[in-house]
Amino acid sequence: MNLGTRKLFDRAFTALGFGSIAIMGMMLIIVLAPIVSKGVSAIVFRSTVEHRKMLYSEFHRGNRVSLEKEIAASDAARRPVYEMLSEFEAELGLMDEDKQQEYKAKLDQVRTAIKALLGPLPGESEPALTRFKYGQNRWEKAEEKLKELVYEKQWDYSNPDIAAKEYFVSRATAFEGTSLVRLFPYVEKNIDKMLLPEWTFYWGFITDSSVDSHIFGGIWPEIQGTFFLALGAMLFAFPLGVIAAIYFTEYAREGFITSLLRSANSTLAGVPSIVFGLFGLAFFINTLKVSESKSVLAGSLTLAIMILPTIIRAAEEAILSVPKTYREASLGLGSTKWNTIVTVILPAALPGILTGGVISLGRAAGETAPIIFTAAVSVGSAIGLADVFSSPTPALSWNIYNLASEHEAAAEIRHVQYGMVFALISIVLMLNLSAIVLRARISKKLKG
Amino acid sequence: MIMSGEELSSQGRSSAFVVSARQRKWQKISKTAGESTLLLIASFVAIIVFFIFFFVTRDAVPYFQIRGFKEFFTSTNWYPADDPPGFGALAIIYGSLMVTVGSALIAIPMGITAAICLSDVIPFSVRQYVKPVIEMLAAIPSVAFGFFALVILAPLLQNFGGTILMWTWWVIVSPFLLLAIIVASELLSAKVSDEKKRKRLHTFLSVVLGIIALGLLFFVGNKLQRIEILTGTNALNVSIILSFMALPTIVSVSEDALQAVGRDLREGSYALGATRAETIVKTILPAASSGILAAVILGIMRALGETMVVWMASGNSSHIPSPWFNYLESVRTLTATIAGDMGEADQVTGSARFHVLFAMGLLLLVISFICNFISERIIVRQRKVLSGQ
Amino acid sequence: MGLTAETIERSQNAGTAVRDIYLPPERKKISGGGVPHVSAKKFSIYYGEFEAVKKVNADILSKYVTAIIGPSGCGKSTFLRAINRMNDLIPNSHTTGALLFDGEDVYGKFTDEVLLRKKIGMVFQKPNPFPKSIFDNIAYGPRLHGIKDKKTLEGIVEKSLRKAALWDEVCDRLDKNALSLSGGQQQRLCVARTLAVEPEILLLDEPTSALDPKATAKIEDLIQELRGSYTIMIVTHNMQQASRVSDYTMFFYEGVLVEHAPTAQLFTNPKDSMTEDYITGRFS
Repeated sequence: MNLGTRKLFDRAFTALGFGSIAIMGMMLIIVLAPIVSKGVSAIVFRSTVEHRKMLYSEFHRGNRVSLEKEIAASDAARRPVYEMLSEFEAELGLMDEDKQQEYKAKLDQVRTAIKALLGPLPGESEPALTRFKYGQNRWEKAEEKLKELVYEKQWDYSNPDIAAKEYFVSRATAFEGTSLVRLFPYVEKNIDKMLLPEWTFYWGFITDSSVDSHIFGGIWPEIQGTFFLALGAMLFAFPLGVIAAIYFTEYAREGFITSLLRSANSTLAGVPSIVFGLFGLAFFINTLKVSESKSVLAGSLTLAIMILPTIIRAAEEAILSVPKTYREASLGLGSTKWNTIVTVILPAALPGILTGGVISLGRAAGETAPIIFTAAVSVGSAIGLADVFSSPTPALSWNIYNLASEHEAAAEIRHVQYGMVFALISIVLMLNLSAIVLRARISKKLKG
Repeated sequence: MIMSGEELSSQGRSSAFVVSARQRKWQKISKTAGESTLLLIASFVAIIVFFIFFFVTRDAVPYFQIRGFKEFFTSTNWYPADDPPGFGALAIIYGSLMVTVGSALIAIPMGITAAICLSDVIPFSVRQYVKPVIEMLAAIPSVAFGFFALVILAPLLQNFGGTILMWTWWVIVSPFLLLAIIVASELLSAKVSDEKKRKRLHTFLSVVLGIIALGLLFFVGNKLQRIEILTGTNALNVSIILSFMALPTIVSVSEDALQAVGRDLREGSYALGATRAETIVKTILPAASSGILAAVILGIMRALGETMVVWMASGNSSHIPSPWFNYLESVRTLTATIAGDMGEADQVTGSARFHVLFAMGLLLLVISFICNFISERIIVRQRKVLSGQ
Repeated sequence: MGLTAETIERSQNAGTAVRDIYLPPERKKISGGGVPHVSAKKFSIYYGEFEAVKKVNADILSKYVTAIIGPSGCGKSTFLRAINRMNDLIPNSHTTGALLFDGEDVYGKFTDEVLLRKKIGMVFQKPNPFPKSIFDNIAYGPRLHGIKDKKTLEGIVEKSLRKAALWDEVCDRLDKNALSLSGGQQQRLCVARTLAVEPEILLLDEPTSALDPKATAKIEDLIQELRGSYTIMIVTHNMQQASRVSDYTMFFYEGVLVEHAPTAQLFTNPKDSMTEDYITGRFS
């Protein structure tokens, strides 16, 4: 090969490496961008009057006088819709049997769509489920529902080779020639008067508990549960891990036992997270019976053994990076070994140890598999500190799974799911970021 | 005895560093006691590892006692809730294998090239900004990746699958083809000694090969575009996401291995007139190969043991895809099965349905233990080789 | 070039005891000094199989400054570090023979190395202050040994810093991080820190090798100040430094104590030809 080709290979090789790194960076952006942007929209969004009604009656929040004014205004805009409906019902009574049958089903569809958009019809009995008590809380959701009211979704099966395609038909055409045909353009035109959208900053998303399994309200129980679980895990794992690291770095003599302990550590680090869950179930709950069934305590213990190897490694590295001269200086002044460790080495290693601790805290907060069988429940309110020994808790990681995969209205509450993922990622990345900052700042201080 | 000067006399007996036999004994006893306490705490990890093996095995054994070994490993009938139940985990084991291999295929080349780039190509100032990216990728919780796979990637694959495949094909393959054309035309024309003729032949070959390559690109790209992905929650989706979760491990451990090779070897190679690529491929990679192997094993383990992504986005259908390499079909993995079936099996503790999940856990545990053991041996051996022992 | 059998024989068996006090006119004789403070009797130090210091016989005289010189790897630092058992930190090291401090064996069965190190302070090659405030650095040792009272500590800190000729430079910023000091100041801080535990012997292991000439001169002045109050041993690479600061000089070569004599005599009239070659710069 001539030099040109060799150089070309060299450049291609470099490009390949840069490409890989670029893809990794891109992946990070691709994953984070939608989560951040849509997650923020769980807090900052255009809320409708229905949202304010909900806040007032479920959380006793908001100004009664202005809310009543708003409700009066929106009711005024809605009245023609309901009048048109009853007018059409009266018209329906005059039609012959066949026509009645034909329109009835379609009318029911329209009624359902209006209920989904604006909440229960006047004169209807109070629905049992909170989710049916209010119309659409969020403007962008309302626009979706409006589309469902105005257009009917149908499927095209004409080409058997490919999957069916959806297309939309205007509902107005079905009611051609009746009085109801006026309803659709009226709703389309006056929807903002009926719902009165305005930009809100709904901080309650973080601090409120959920209403009717996350259809309304916030995610406080999950956030609190995540903190309980992660901090509980740290409470067990951090002291243990640091002491074990002190042993490995300062006291362990190379030999069979030490190498056995070291491989135990790396084995523990490699155990799949779901196996920790199985172990937590079999050991902490079924054998030790630390609690009747799932509990924060059992979950924290399980998470603790999962993050233990990380803490040990980080602490070991931090202790080893303390200059040997500190050790010599302290011993040279007539300090005992233990004294040297406590007064000189640990303080100097503290930033590194804390960094490892904070990163492990993030990992404990983000893990799902170990808490599925040991601590997490899908629905629940925030638990008190005294209940951590006996009761399970909702947690961000588990509820993200639960809401996205198992919730009966998963597609309706995407914003809540995004909000939760955003909250979880913020917590974890903030912890990591603070670890990085901590490391940089205190290492600067060490250098003087 | 010399006892002069204020410092000396103020200290009393100057040989104050000698203690009595009893004191010495107590010192020794307390020292031993302290160290033993530390040892006890340090061995807590080993005790936990033992307990994990013990308890998972304890709850796995009843399954094999009730149902034996054969069905679990050879049948694909996974109907744990039926009567009579079927506990064939072959398809599930295959599903785990499939997503692991898929993610490895993506993550290994990317991870190694990225590690090389980090250790040998980009300057230190840039590396400072790349490292946090990798750390952040590693820090993102698995459930967030799972959510991304389920809510964003799956619909994308389902709706625009063919187009996505085609573009991936174009972007990835065309640079390689271009490189191949240039090298091939040069190699083929190298034998012609006459400079003018050689140049002409070179141009001719480049054009012909270029046309062939373009044809290939379009042909395969077209075929790919016409592929319809029936469900977005499939093995491909999961493999992509898992590969990104395995990448940070592979990159950082391989980078350590590459760094450990040292400057002498690099300088030696450069001094002989090798280009950077040649230095890396011929000198550094062989020297670091075992460390990179360990990195790959650790990365694969991460993909194999991952639960949330596969549970949310693999489709959870317990069958072997047809044909067996069809990554566009849904699969089910060991981890997802444990996570998903425990909820229903929980109430009937003691039944085969409960214990079979522990059998799966044991299988995962044993695989991860073996992988870990191998990678650890490899790392230890490489360290010994490089330090010249 | 090498050790002659005769040198080794004299060093390892006959001994190189220095009793005569031969001082140049500018150096004052110290009353009450000059008795053996540390004595090595056929004292060897091994790293595993390797004998790093070979059967040294020597008396270090109290209150005077003894310099240890020799080419690198000759065992001079090892010997120094053996005196307060800092070599214990190195795995596989052991000693034979005896090393007496005030007549008691340093490596004896009932020696408490923590108490020993309190008596024998050490300053290292590179300044190694702890990443704490200046005050806490000095107070570290006294606190370890049970002094809690703030007033007493303040007194000790001031006294130690004054002895180390650092007080005037740092008295207004005792709460600043010690790492913010200059290299020379850091090293004097390390001396002060050592003095704060009131040792009898001060071991200085190449204390100026990491410092610039100005800072070096200050450390040398400091050694002159401390001469007479402490028995000082200084390992140095720099023969001028040895001749400037010390009263006695020990010359090590390949673990053997080749010559041990009053400095003025060793540098002007060495008994051994090896010593002569070394101090005249024929090898290093």
